[in-house]
Amino acid sequence: MTDLAALRSEAEIIASSLPALGFKSTASEAPHVGSAGRRKAGTGEHYWQHRRYAKEDDATRIDWRRSAKGDDLFVKETELETARTALFWCDPHPGFDWRGGEGRRTKADEARILMMALGTLLSREGDRIGVLGSGRTPSFGKKAVDRLAEDLATDQSGSFPPPPRNAAFAVVASDFYDALASWEERLTPLAATCKEGILLAVADPTEIEFPFEGRIRLSRPGEALRRIIGRAETVREAYTTKFKEHRAGLEKLATQIGWRLVTHDTSKVSLEGAARLKTAMESFGARP
Amino acid sequence: MSLTALMSGAPLAVGPFVLGAPLALLALVALPILWIILRATPPAPKSVELPSLRLLDDIDPREETPDRTPWWVLLLRILAATLAIVGLSQPVFAPAGPPDAEEAGAVLVVIDDGWAAAPRWSDLRGAADAAIDGAGRDTPIHILTTAPRTRPIDVAEPRTRQAAARMLDAFDPVSWSVDRVGALERLEASGIEPGRIIYATTGLTDGTDGAFLEALANLAPVSAYVAPPRGALAISSLIADGDGVGVTLARVSDDEAQDIAVSALTLDGSALATSQATFEDGSLETVARFDLPGGALARVSRFAVTGAQGAGTTWLWDSEDRTRRVGLVSAGQTAQPLLSDVHYVRRALDPFATLIEGELADIIEQQPDAIILTDVGRIPAAVQEPLIRWIEGGGALIRFAGPRLAAQDDALLPVPLRRTSRALGGALAWEDPQGLDAFAESSPFAGLSVPDDAVVRQQVLAQPAADLQSRTWARLEDGSPIVTANPRGAGMIILYHVTAGPDWSDLPFSATFAQMLRRSIAAGRGEVRETSEGAFAPQLVLDGFGRLQSPDATAQPLQAADFATIQTSEAHPPGFYRGPSGTRAINAAPGVRLSPITDWPASVRLLGDAEAQRLDLTGLLLTLALALIALDLIIALALSGRGPQLRRAAAALPFILAGTLIAMPEPAAAQLLAAPGEEGLTKAEAAAINMRFGYVRTGDTELDQRVEAGLLGLSRILYLRTSVEPVRPHALDLETDALELYPLIYYSVPETADPLSEAAASALNRYMRGGGGLVIDTRGGGNPSAESDLSGLAEFLSGLDAPPLGPVPQDHVLTKSFYLIDNYPGRFSGRRLWVEVPGDDGRIEGDGVSRLFIGDADWAGAWAIDERTRPMFSVDGGSIQREYAYRFGVNLVMYVLTGNYKSDQVHIPALLERLGDGEVDEDTIDLDEIPSRIMDGGP
Repeated sequence: MTDLAALRSEAEIIASSLPALGFKSTASEAPHVGSAGRRKAGTGEHYWQHRRYAKEDDATRIDWRRSAKGDDLFVKETELETARTALFWCDPHPGFDWRGGEGRRTKADEARILMMALGTLLSREGDRIGVLGSGRTPSFGKKAVDRLAEDLATDQSGSFPPPPRNAAFAVVASDFYDALASWEERLTPLAATCKEGILLAVADPTEIEFPFEGRIRLSRPGEALRRIIGRAETVREAYTTKFKEHRAGLEKLATQIGWRLVTHDTSKVSLEGAARLKTAMESFGARP
Repeated sequence: MSLTALMSGAPLAVGPFVLGAPLALLALVALPILWIILRATPPAPKSVELPSLRLLDDIDPREETPDRTPWWVLLLRILAATLAIVGLSQPVFAPAGPPDAEEAGAVLVVIDDGWAAAPRWSDLRGAADAAIDGAGRDTPIHILTTAPRTRPIDVAEPRTRQAAARMLDAFDPVSWSVDRVGALERLEASGIEPGRIIYATTGLTDGTDGAFLEALANLAPVSAYVAPPRGALAISSLIADGDGVGVTLARVSDDEAQDIAVSALTLDGSALATSQATFEDGSLETVARFDLPGGALARVSRFAVTGAQGAGTTWLWDSEDRTRRVGLVSAGQTAQPLLSDVHYVRRALDPFATLIEGELADIIEQQPDAIILTDVGRIPAAVQEPLIRWIEGGGALIRFAGPRLAAQDDALLPVPLRRTSRALGGALAWEDPQGLDAFAESSPFAGLSVPDDAVVRQQVLAQPAADLQSRTWARLEDGSPIVTANPRGAGMIILYHVTAGPDWSDLPFSATFAQMLRRSIAAGRGEVRETSEGAFAPQLVLDGFGRLQSPDATAQPLQAADFATIQTSEAHPPGFYRGPSGTRAINAAPGVRLSPITDWPASVRLLGDAEAQRLDLTGLLLTLALALIALDLIIALALSGRGPQLRRAAAALPFILAGTLIAMPEPAAAQLLAAPGEEGLTKAEAAAINMRFGYVRTGDTELDQRVEAGLLGLSRILYLRTSVEPVRPHALDLETDALELYPLIYYSVPETADPLSEAAASALNRYMRGGGGLVIDTRGGGNPSAESDLSGLAEFLSGLDAPPLGPVPQDHVLTKSFYLIDNYPGRFSGRRLWVEVPGDDGRIEGDGVSRLFIGDADWAGAWAIDERTRPMFSVDGGSIQREYAYRFGVNLVMYVLTGNYKSDQVHIPALLERLGDGEVDEDTIDLDEIPSRIMDGGP
């Protein structure tokens, strides 16, 4: 796997060359209250500050524990929390952390870069970011991106994580080469909690083009799956058809659970993928 | 090729090949089967990873037929199998072929193993081996060697092929001669009846072998392989005379001219000298001369023909040959040893002869080669008789004249003398002192150089006689004899008509005197030595290849009396024998006369070189098969994609080649020091544009190139390490070129240099006055004991305004102008560097900066690099000293360019300290440094 710092800096560059996120108004507020602090007093769960009691305040708001220490009366205020939470997940399958040739990144690295870039943009907006199933609370700020990078790089246990307690945006990156039925099974509970989400399908050019010839023995990394093909060139057409069908099926699955599908190819510029990912995220809430 | 022959497993001949195990060839039948199997087996599939493999789950490939194995891979494998099978059948290339008739009976291998066989022993043994290999598996083999041994190989014993081959392998030639008569006796005694005979011989005859060959030819058909020594056969004799040693070489065939090198070796094998001898076309003998000083000759223990192995080409040299024993009798003792006659004789003969001093009677008893009498007048009558007997037995009596001899003489003189001596020169004489005349051709002194500064002031005169002329060995310029000699019996009486000391002549001072004395001893030497009693035990003996070894148990001691008649044998091998009176040598081939056998019996079949040799192909073929299999393995790996990425490597090849070409085209030094923008400019303009060094063109091309390479090397180092970036140096003509354009001119003075011309000297003076730096290098520092000697330069540099020079002081700026250095090595280390020092007025012109640097350490040689920046010359202290030489060069250039700048710089700490606090302790103020202004400006 590539150096984490290198990925991080690449993500920073991409993030800095993208414009700031512009959410639809419907997407920004309503469904996500109670997610992230806005650094001012308001409705929220976390303590923000004490201030002197004013006449117009309701007497029930007085914090008696604090006021008993002196002569003045204090009111305890909480931090306004209106931000969104975005949760990322990167497929830990060995077949995803794989590249088809020298000079390219692995699909997983590419996905991490795209997600980190998006995470950077989000955290600049004050939104909370985190990794699905990492066990750490989503947070914002510069630290948050660091933690995102760390958590994305940490190899998660093989099973798909359970959905979060609170509603959030979800970005699920994988190659989705497992059967679509099993993906549907995994994503449906998640989609129940996270109404908006993105499936980030990253593919290697090798997988798209199937450039083999002659007698080959194919194997899937991380699995004991092997197959000998006498003449690879004869199955190329069938394979590419299959690949397109698979992508169509994935698109259908995404639509079915109300999410969007973003595809990326490791031979393309990362910025382009990041831009499409951003566009997909900005479109949240646009649909009824 | 009959099937029965094949099945019997006996060796089988196919053309020039003999197959040792022909049954193995049956495996060739299996080749077509192998072909079919190989064709059916597909190559291993290429293994690739594909995460999206799941997508192919329900796709069935239409065609599963594998690729065919490429035809050339098939061919390779079949070839490897064929080679292996043929190799296993043990083929041998043997043009001589196996015996025609296998039933013919036993094979007798006769091999010459005397000393003459050593030079071509491997050929002889190869021929015998080939004969043994060609014999049938069950044919008994008998071996007969012709050199006598105490335990000869039993001819009668039949041996198997393997046993015979093993025996031959362990067999070496001996250092004595063959005895074919004895060998024939042994053969006849054994009573064997061979079917055929193979004779591996040197083909050299000593005259006794006709009967041997006849007997062999009568016994059975004979094939003979003849390998006479090429080049020198032997060193047959050695002649030592006064000036050195002559080694006579003998050879066998006189076909063509040949050059032979002979080395003189010490006992431990180091070569003291090498001499070249040439066999003229048509001659069988030549002489290699060694002109060595006596001291070196004394260390020589043997002479050997370089590059030849064999006891014959080694000549052992014992003390017998080497040193002459000379008795020395003086008339009386002198208070001043340096003026005594004996001293000069002793010095002249010292390393050359063993001197015995004492009473004449005692000396005669010891039977020396020569006896020298210095100014002994009359020999006592009692001694005269044994002395005469000794002379007639071959002794050389050498007498020197003197006042006593002039006064009274005796019969033991070569010529009758006048009763006076003749003084030449001096206040009362008419004649001037005389020099020596050139030696006559017939004189034993012929060829010696005549000392032109040795004059004779006094001599004894011979009475004129008819035969005086023939008895004279040397004469003065006026014709009077100075050395006369007369043979007496086998010996010689020689008279020097002057003293052995410098009283009467300068002759004893000259080198010719020593040579004359030696020749006198040699000329008189007869073979009269009474062989002393006693046994000589072998100390070191020669083996067949001419190596000195400790003797083994078979070598026996030898009676002194037997040395003259000794026949070398196993009991008395050639070598050094130690006895009571020193070490004596026995040589393998003294006075050898061997000629090629020409009268071969008609029935003998002579084999050529090619026929007698054989080549075992088994190992070769199997190795080849193995190599092919290895190649196949690599190809198989490449085909399955697991091996080295051939395609990628092939794709990279053009880039690699191009890279090499780009890297190679211009030598590194040239690139670095290229001077841009100088095209079309004159030399002076170019020198004005780019900073560069100059060197004086001396006319000696080699020296000029060396200095240019040196400056090139220094320029490169400067370029790499400092901000001085000189370009290629220029060669300068002092008289015509504009010197002022070069900051530094390097002048490497050739050994034979004419003094500077006036124009050149004045140009250099102008140059130095103008601030240029001139480095003069005499390159004479190779002699570490000599001080840097500039006396030769004085003449050469006449006309140059040489300032006062002195060795570089300890704290000179030169030691710190860039690097901190404390000596100035070039190719030679520890040499002095001379620079300008303050003169009488305590100052150096030009701001105290020396403009002249003189030394002899050959700096240019140490700096010199070739166009690929490799150092050209070796340096005394290796690369470390080269580095220091470069550092000195850098310092030198910095000094020339910056003058005394560094000398100021190093004082900065002191200046700062003085400026800084003003807390200088009163006591430390030097009164001289107090500004005079204060003194003047006092109240």
